[in-house]
Formats: sequence, C-alpha cells, structure tokens
Amino acid sequence: MTMGPVTSKSDEQVPSVEEATSTPPGVPAKAIEGRSLGQIAWTRLKRDKVALTGASVIVFLVLVAIFAPVINKFLGHPINEFHQDKINPSLGGIPEPGTWGGISKDFLLGVQPVTGRDMFSQIIYGARVSLLVALSATVVAVILGVVLGITAGYFGGFVDSAVSRLMDLILAFPYLLFSIALISVVPVTTAWRIGVVVGVISFFSWPYIGRIVRGQTLSLREREFVEAARSVGAGPTRILFRELLPNLVAPILVYSTLVIPTNIVFEASLSFLGVGVLPPTPSWGRLLSDAVNYYTYDPVYMFVPGLAIFIMVLAFNLFGDGLRDALDPKANR
Amino acid sequence: MRMRTGALVAGSAAIALVLSACGSGGDDKKPSTGESTAGVTGFNAATKGVVNPSDKKGGTLKLVNHSDADSWDPVRAYYAWVWNFQKGYYVRTLLTNASKPGEDGLKLEPDLAEKLPEITDGGKTYTFKLKAGVKFEDGSPITSKDIKYGIERVFAQDILSGGPTYIVDVLDQDQKYPGPYKDTDPDKLGLKSIQTPDDTTIVFKLKEPLSDFNYLLAMPGAGPVQKAKDTGDKYGDKPVSTGPYKFQSFDPGKKLTLVRNENWDPKTDTIRKALPDQIDLTIGTAVEEIDNQLLAGDVDIDTAQTGVQQGAQPKILLEADKKANADTPTTGFIRYFSINTKVPPFDNIHCRKAVQYATDKVTMQTARGGADAGGDIAVNMLPPNIAGHDPALDPYNTKSGKPQIDKAKEELAACGKKDGFDTVIATRNAGKEPKTAEALQAALKNVGINARLDPTDASLYFRSTIGAPSNTHAKGYGLMMAGWGADFPTGYGFLSILVDGRTISQSGNNNYAELNNSEVNSLIDKAKAETDPKKAADIWGQINKVVMDEAVMVPFVYDKALNYRNPRLTNVFVTEYYGMYDFASLGVTK
Amino acid sequence: MINYILRRLVTAVALLVAVSAVTFLIFFAIPKAAGADPAQMYVGKSATPRDVEATRVKLGLDQPIYIQYGRFLKGIVAGRDYNNGPSVTHCSAPCFGYSFRTDREVWPLLIDRLPVTVSLALGAAVIWLLFGVAGGVISALRRGSIADRTAMIIALAGVSLPIYFTGLVAQQLFVHTWNIFEGGEYVNFKDDPAGWANKLFLAWVTLALLFAAQYTRLTRAQMLETMSEDYVRTARAKGLKERVVVGKHAMRSVLTPIVTIFGLDLGGLLGGAILTESVFSLPGIGRLSIDAVNVKDLPIILGVTLFGAFFIVIANLLVDLLYAVIDPRVRLS
Repeated sequence: MTMGPVTSKSDEQVPSVEEATSTPPGVPAKAIEGRSLGQIAWTRLKRDKVALTGASVIVFLVLVAIFAPVINKFLGHPINEFHQDKINPSLGGIPEPGTWGGISKDFLLGVQPVTGRDMFSQIIYGARVSLLVALSATVVAVILGVVLGITAGYFGGFVDSAVSRLMDLILAFPYLLFSIALISVVPVTTAWRIGVVVGVISFFSWPYIGRIVRGQTLSLREREFVEAARSVGAGPTRILFRELLPNLVAPILVYSTLVIPTNIVFEASLSFLGVGVLPPTPSWGRLLSDAVNYYTYDPVYMFVPGLAIFIMVLAFNLFGDGLRDALDPKANR
Repeated sequence: MRMRTGALVAGSAAIALVLSACGSGGDDKKPSTGESTAGVTGFNAATKGVVNPSDKKGGTLKLVNHSDADSWDPVRAYYAWVWNFQKGYYVRTLLTNASKPGEDGLKLEPDLAEKLPEITDGGKTYTFKLKAGVKFEDGSPITSKDIKYGIERVFAQDILSGGPTYIVDVLDQDQKYPGPYKDTDPDKLGLKSIQTPDDTTIVFKLKEPLSDFNYLLAMPGAGPVQKAKDTGDKYGDKPVSTGPYKFQSFDPGKKLTLVRNENWDPKTDTIRKALPDQIDLTIGTAVEEIDNQLLAGDVDIDTAQTGVQQGAQPKILLEADKKANADTPTTGFIRYFSINTKVPPFDNIHCRKAVQYATDKVTMQTARGGADAGGDIAVNMLPPNIAGHDPALDPYNTKSGKPQIDKAKEELAACGKKDGFDTVIATRNAGKEPKTAEALQAALKNVGINARLDPTDASLYFRSTIGAPSNTHAKGYGLMMAGWGADFPTGYGFLSILVDGRTISQSGNNNYAELNNSEVNSLIDKAKAETDPKKAADIWGQINKVVMDEAVMVPFVYDKALNYRNPRLTNVFVTEYYGMYDFASLGVTK
Repeated sequence: MINYILRRLVTAVALLVAVSAVTFLIFFAIPKAAGADPAQMYVGKSATPRDVEATRVKLGLDQPIYIQYGRFLKGIVAGRDYNNGPSVTHCSAPCFGYSFRTDREVWPLLIDRLPVTVSLALGAAVIWLLFGVAGGVISALRRGSIADRTAMIIALAGVSLPIYFTGLVAQQLFVHTWNIFEGGEYVNFKDDPAGWANKLFLAWVTLALLFAAQYTRLTRAQMLETMSEDYVRTARAKGLKERVVVGKHAMRSVLTPIVTIFGLDLGGLLGGAILTESVFSLPGIGRLSIDAVNVKDLPIILGVTLFGAFFIVIANLLVDLLYAVIDPRVRLS
C-alpha cells in the first residue's frame, strides 16, 4: 500500500482517508528498515527533481519567514503603516481603478483595501504566521500522536482501547465546523489566540498520526528484536523509545511532512471563516476573505494571497510525496 | 436644496444624470411635501424629497434581505428595518411616525388614536381616544383592551424576549407584573397602570412625567394584539395584521409574502400609502448577490438598508446612471469610542483630551467606508437626526478630521505623560470594527500612546465585554470602540443611557466611560420632564456640551449608508425616523 | 455476523452520545467558566437585569448543566414540551430543541437544509469518481510516461488548492467575466431542474477537483500495486486480453479501497460542506452552521455538530460492515 493519508484537506473530506477506518484487509502494516534506509532514501530523493523543487521552495519560504523584517526593510513598508493616499475612500477604500490593486514599484504587490497597508509586507509576515501555526500544530500533533499511538500499540489492552476510543471520538467530529464553533466560544485575546488555533488544529490532526503509529507498533512489537530486548530485561520505556521509535522514524517523517500542508490549509480556512489569528496579525486566509468583497472589481486581491497559499501547500506536498517515495522501498517509480 | 423639476419621468438615466449634478450639494433640509407631484431625482434625491411621486396602485414590491427578522412578533423585534417594515405594513399603534421626508418624518402622528393624547396630571396621565372603524385582519374591531393586552405582552420577557423594554420600566411601577400569561386576572388585563374605561378609551398613568412617552407608544411592541389570537412565542410566524397588508405565507429564513388586508380601511389611515398589491420579501440571499440583483434591477431594495458591500461601491459611484439611483442617508447611528475614566491614566482629563486631539478621524472614516458610504466626520455626541444637534459644537476642532499632534502632546505633558503611555483598545472582531480600531491604534502611536488591540466576539461585546465595568477595569480597557443609534429620535432616546451616571450597572452597562457628572445627571432629569420639545432639545444640547468637555467619548463618524433603489420604485424617500427608505410609502411602476 | 453488527451499532451510538456530551459541555460550560453569562447573549441591547433573568429561565440556562444535557437527550429520544406562553408546544422526537435566537425547532431546520447539501455532495461525487478513477487507471497503465507525470503533478496541484480560492476564481471567470453560468440563488431541483444544475455546476466542479486529485493518486497507487500481484500475472499468462485483465481482475481489488474512502468522504460532506457552501452561497447545512456560529445559536450548533457526526459515524459503520461481509477475519478481531 503506497498511498499515504491525506495530502491536503483543502475542504471537508475526512482527512486520512484509509486510516479513518479499520485498515482494509490484505494490507499488512509495513515496517520500514531503519539502517541503510537513510542513505537509500537520500540517493532516491536527490534524483527526484520534483521533490527537490518542492524542497527548495520550502527553504525559500522559510527563509522569507525568518528574515521577513529584513526583507521588508528593503522591499516593503512597516507592516502596520497606513497609506491613505494610495486608496480612494469614496470607492470603498480600494485603489483607483485599473491599477491592479495599487501595484507599483514602491508597493510590489499593491496595497490592502481600506487601510492602504503594503500587501507585500502582509504576505511575507503572513508566511510567518502560516508556517508558525502549521509547524507548531504539526509538532504538537506528532508528539501527541507518537506518544499515545506507541503506548496504545505496545501495551494493548485497556490502554489501547482507551486511546483508540478517544481517537474514534475525535475523528467522529465534523472537525471544521467544530473548530470554528469552538474557537468562537473560547474568549481569548490576541496574545493567545494563536495558541488556541494551534491547539485546535493539533487536536484534530494527532489521531491520524496516532492511528498509523499504533498500527506500526502493533506489528513491530512481536518482532524478534523487541523480543530480544525484552528478554535481556529492558523496561517498557527503553523498548518504546530506544527500540521501537527508531523503527518508526520513517513513517512518522513522511506523515508529518504530509500533515504540514494540511495544517497550512486548515489555518487559512479558519482565518478565511473569521476565526483564525486575530487582526492586525496578518494571515493569508483573512486576506482572501477580504478579497471576497473586492474580487469582482479587482481580482488581484484574490490572486495574491490565493497563490501564496497554493505555492506553499504545493511545495510541501511535492516534497512530502517525494520523501514518501524515497523512504518506501516498494515505491513504484 | 429643494428640487422642483417639473414633470420629469424619473428613472430615465440621461435626465437623472444631469440632475444629479445639480441635485446634490444643497444641505437645506426643508422637505418637499408628500403631496407634491413633481418629486426629485438624482444621487441622494430621496434624502431630500420624494422620488417618483405617484398614487398608482398595483404590482408586486420585491424586497430582499440577507437575514430574517429577529422576530416578526412586534413585541420581540428590535432591528430598525423590522420596525420600519412592521409599522409600514401590518402593525398600527396609537401613534406612528409621519411618513414624510425631512424633519417632518421625525414627528409622531395619530394612527389608531383619533388625535394626539390629552396629557393631564402634570404630565403623568395620557388619555387616548381610538378612531372608529379600525379593525384586525379578521374584521373584528380594535379595542382599547387589545392595545392594553398588546403592551402587557412586553412584560412577558420570559417568553417574548428580545425587544425593547422601556415600556416595562415606565409602567411596571413596582407591581412586578409578570405579563399576561401568568396574570391572575381572568381577562389577563391585570396591569394597573393602564386603564380602559371603555372600548375606545385608553389611559396611561405614569409615576413621573416623561415627555417622550409618546415615542414608547409608537414602537411596534405597543401595537394591539387579540388575546384569542395570541400564540405566545409562535406569534411571529403569523402575526395578526392591523395595517394594509397581512401575512399570506411565511417560510422562515426564506420568503415572506404579504397581500392586501381587506379589513384595513384607508379612510382610517393617513400615514400608509399601500400602493403595491403584494409585497415579497426574499430572505437569505448572500450580501454580494443582493447587490448584483439590485444593480440588475431584479429586486427593489435591500430592507437591511445598511448599505451595499464595499465591492459594489465603485460600481455605483463610478457609473453616473447607477449613482443617480443611490442615496446616502444618515442612519442616525454614531460611531465613537469611549475613554474609560476609571482606567489610569484616563482618570486624568488631560490624557483624555490628548486622545481627542491625536485621533485621526479621516482614516477611521475611511475604514468605515469613506464619506459617501461610511459617513460624515462627527464632532459631538448628538447625530443630525436628533433635536438638539449642533454642528458648531466642536470643542476639539476636529471638523477636518486630521490629528492635531502638537495639541495632543501639550495635553500629554499636562497629564504628566510627556512620553506617552500604554493602554488597551477593546473592539469587536467582526465587520469594519477591527480595521477602524487599527486606524485609531496607528494614529495614537504618532503621539507615543501605545495601544494594544483586544478584539473580542461581537455577541457579548456590548453587554459583557465593555458593558461590565469590572471586566473593563480588569482588562485595562482604556479605549472602547462603540456605536449607538437611538430607539426613538430624541435626546432622551439617544444620549441619556450613554451618559447618565446613575444608570451605570454591572452588566449591560451603556455608560462605558463611567461618567458620573452631577451636572449631566440633573440636566437629564430636567430634560425628561420638559414638555416643550424645543426646550428639551436645548437642554440636550447643553448635556452634549458638558459631555464633550469632559472628553469621555470621541465621536468620529455620523453613519451613512450607500443604499440603492430600483428606478422602477415610486414614492421613494428616506424617513429620518429610521434613516432608511420609508417602506410604507413605496410603490412600483410596471 | 449479527453479533458483530450489534456490537458495531452499540459503539456507533455510544460515539454519538459522547460527541453530544462533549459538544454540550464545551458550548455550555466554557463560556461560563470564562466568566461570561450565556444569557447575556440573547437579550436586547437595553435589557434590564430582570430581562436577562427571564431569558435565562426561558432558555433553561438557570439549570445545572447535567440537567440541561439530560433534557436535551430526552428530547432526542422522546420529545419535549415547551411553554410558549398561552399554552404548551410539543416538540416531537427527535427534538433537538429550539433555536435560542428565533425560537424555531432545530430538527426541521436541518431537514430543510439537507437537500442542498445532498445535491452538492452527490453531484460533486459523481464527477470526482468518474474523473479520479479514470485518471488514476490511465496514469497507472502508462506509468512513467509524460502523461503520467503530468497527471500526478496536476493531481498534487489539485489537492493543494484551497476551495475558497478556486471557488472565487471560478466565479470570477465563469460568472462575472464570461457569463457562462448564472450567479444568483440556489433553486430547488423540483422547482427548476435546469436552474438547479446551472447554479450548482461550478460548485460541483470546484469541489470535485479537490477530491478527483486525491482519487487519481489513490487509484494509481492501488492499480500499480495490484498489477504486480500474482493473480494478475496469472491472468495475463493465461493469455487474457489486457482489457479483461484490467477491467475485470485488477479493477475489483482497486475499487475496494476506493469505495471505502468514497463512503467516508461522502459522509463527511453530508454533514455540511462549510467552505464550499459559503463560497458559492448555497443555503445548506454548512451555511446554517456558520450562521449559527456567528450568532452563537447554541442549539443549532449542537444540532449541526451531531448531524455531521451522525453521517461520519454511519459512513464508518457501513464501511466496516462492508468489510465484515467481504472478509470474515474482521468480525473476529
């Protein structure tokens, strides 16, 4: 079985397609050998031009996010600086018609409606927010998923059914609706709204990782090397984290890479629906939801943030896809 | 500027275009009277006179709205457009706002009552006589007892929540009247402060004089309801009409259709024109789609009357033939922010004044939609549709809207905060609010005031977030974004609840600044008892001045809404009572 | 088998009860814990403390939360009686209560919106199944060709596009610029079938694009794996025509996981396609839920969440049962 879980839940599909239910029969969970795999994978990955393109775009975007203040100094304007002269208040606060969203050599991507803030600054700082939220949510989800999944899989019995039922429960929620509703009742201020968004996203994504890790652990725990460790008197902690975990690195890596773009879209969707990070913190999803007001008049407002989301998500998907193929010895190339 | 343009056929684009050029600009508010046959045309014409005057009956008026009414039950409705709709089509009350353009539209006229009330006992007893021949839609006559029963329903807040409760405050008088459903009186008419000596006489006994009492009786919630037809919290699904139209069908959240009420006698009604044969209200259309349909002429008006979306503004304002069918009435809403006198350093008046000077009202106006669709720059706390409004009262010289950095810095120095300070701006997290608050934040930064934004959910904002003083103190809200429109267009209806120091409460407080000024308080008492509207208006003007001098509120925009009217509409004008088209008068050609 | 079905049914019901309990707790307890008074949300702007108290009693918010929840559960099973003032209204089972805002029964509201969501989901499903599976099969059969590579990259791009971006672009082009489709309001199929299809077509295609991409990738991977199975080789060796090998032998095993995922995706969508419905302004369950969240209409939020969870759980149940029929081992595990 080579298909991963979701690569993107841009809309309402239940993420993690097959893992959302019991594993189809005849599809044995597969252990991936650890030792020489790294080298094999690296050789494979190096040949995969598409994946490398994705990787370089990711590196570029991460650099942009990290150095946003520096880049902005040269190419943009202070993030919250208003440029009222760039917009026409009596036209609903958009730039003069025919200027493509106010694009000029001073304002590379135009200006935001109403405030006249530099769209370029909004986009590069938005990359920061997008990556920050998606990566932290992924890290939290992976930690939760790995710890709970490995525990459930190894110990079985009561622990396993408790964790499994919990995962079933979370997966039974219409996650997008529930996230919106949840965020909108949690009374928060700007300071920890990002935290709430990260929390909600990771809460709904850890079970996917949890199920995979549990399944892999189940098949690994009867293997000889685990038996061997047990027979020499290794404690559960040692077996879990020293023996089992290294063997799970490959699938965890692949699924984490593929959960990131999902989370990017998740964050953007929340912002699009008005429950993401709070203004004035810039967000691509909110820029797009602002565009709903203006796109028939000036499509630039829709394309700039839309393409930004698209490029970032695509880059992660390309890379994740390549990584999976590289780490999967049976991959059909 | 009064437009007398001869026998022009309005709706003709070319002519309208020419006229719009000369039609705008005048600010003489003198209304052209309803009986004029000429009418006005062009951009903003309906704010000055009647567009397409006509008495031609027939046709179907096609209305549209994104959301359903908060309730079609007159007791439970609070949206202004719903009041306008109810009063125009199916709810008659003792008194009703006159259907006239201009300031005349702010006056009340007898509707079910024969004439204005006889006020005796030093302003504490109001006696009305009912007109003969007024009927419910089933043909039974409207009696004083039906009116009393209707008003009693307002008391049943445990079942019929949501609407205004002023009338409870005035008429309960410590009776703790529970409303008709828990009334022990066999006729369910146990409220002692209303007496019905006979079927055509109704007497209201107040505890103390209240010159605005008539306005409370003009709210739809004070309309008559038959006890036998009262279905409690289901009444909004099919309210019994007393006006020219009745519910034919209602599909909640989708469509409401009104048809003529045969038992409405036009001879008893001097207010409603009742021109169309049918009124369709389509509910649930997306806001952007509403604008498209309006501009295409598929629907007549958006009953929300809060203005087209920002994306549609250029389509209207840049095209002369479209612009000629648009109006930007003042809605009666004021956009302002309160400065919390209990949160340091705003306990010092100089720090408050520094904010008054530092505020960039132009940017905030832009965030609200600009001069046409957002509103005019506000300089004091009484909007133009309230008697007592004085455009010259501008103690901080903010007419231009530009920040006055030097003055602000002087005040900061006087406050002992030469280098500025930190504070928090509370705002709602939806609509135009966040951007407006960001504009304020940016302006304050220029004088060294570092304000952090604290956007919160809109549903609890006014009642709990900034309406609970304990919360504003705990969160350190120095500045609180707010908006306010009157429930009835008098100084009492508008200002008292915002500035009366004795009404500060622990939740649902509206005096966000917690201003408790003895001069203001005593002037309010004086104004409430003043029976001469002119004198009362003067007193409200004084109160306004004291409040502005205290620098506790910074008004920045008197709201306007860019509304579009289908050129096929007749008798279109803006009633200042609601700051929107007068629904009762609308007719259609074709 | 009956035993298995019963066990699964009990689990499904238990899951739904758990979902309702969690939802209830979150929406009724969190605001309270944060110091907000829920009753304050449902009163007019000039309400006095007396009015707030009256509203609290009317909505039952004065009762302890477990009693409120008990009443809610009882309503679903047995119906409830409500005091409407002059008399009593009976809300028959399944009674999801009344809207806090409009006093309308929640259940009929849900049923009323369901046809829109069903129309959207089924229409899109037909498109994505056809194109996704066909694309995947062709891609797999021409593995490594340029057509395959291109198809895979397009599929990756497809899953990387958020629907609120593609939706806006599609509307800008096909509705506003080229006037190929009408904008405007959703119409019922029975009132105007052509108008119904016209209004839904763009939404179908946009939503289907997202899923088709995933189905293409999934089908391709399954197909490749199956084609290397022994029995396919045997079939070939028997000299069967390639068309028969692919169409009859391979497709069967390829379609099994597809059907699984299809069931789950459809289940997820039927609970409300929030983003699609809001971008294309379709008055379905998703829009209902967004509107409810915006005005904090808790009974509707609760109803929609349960409704959505119901479809997800049912889809899972059906898929599991399907497997149990195919593969007896599942029943025993």
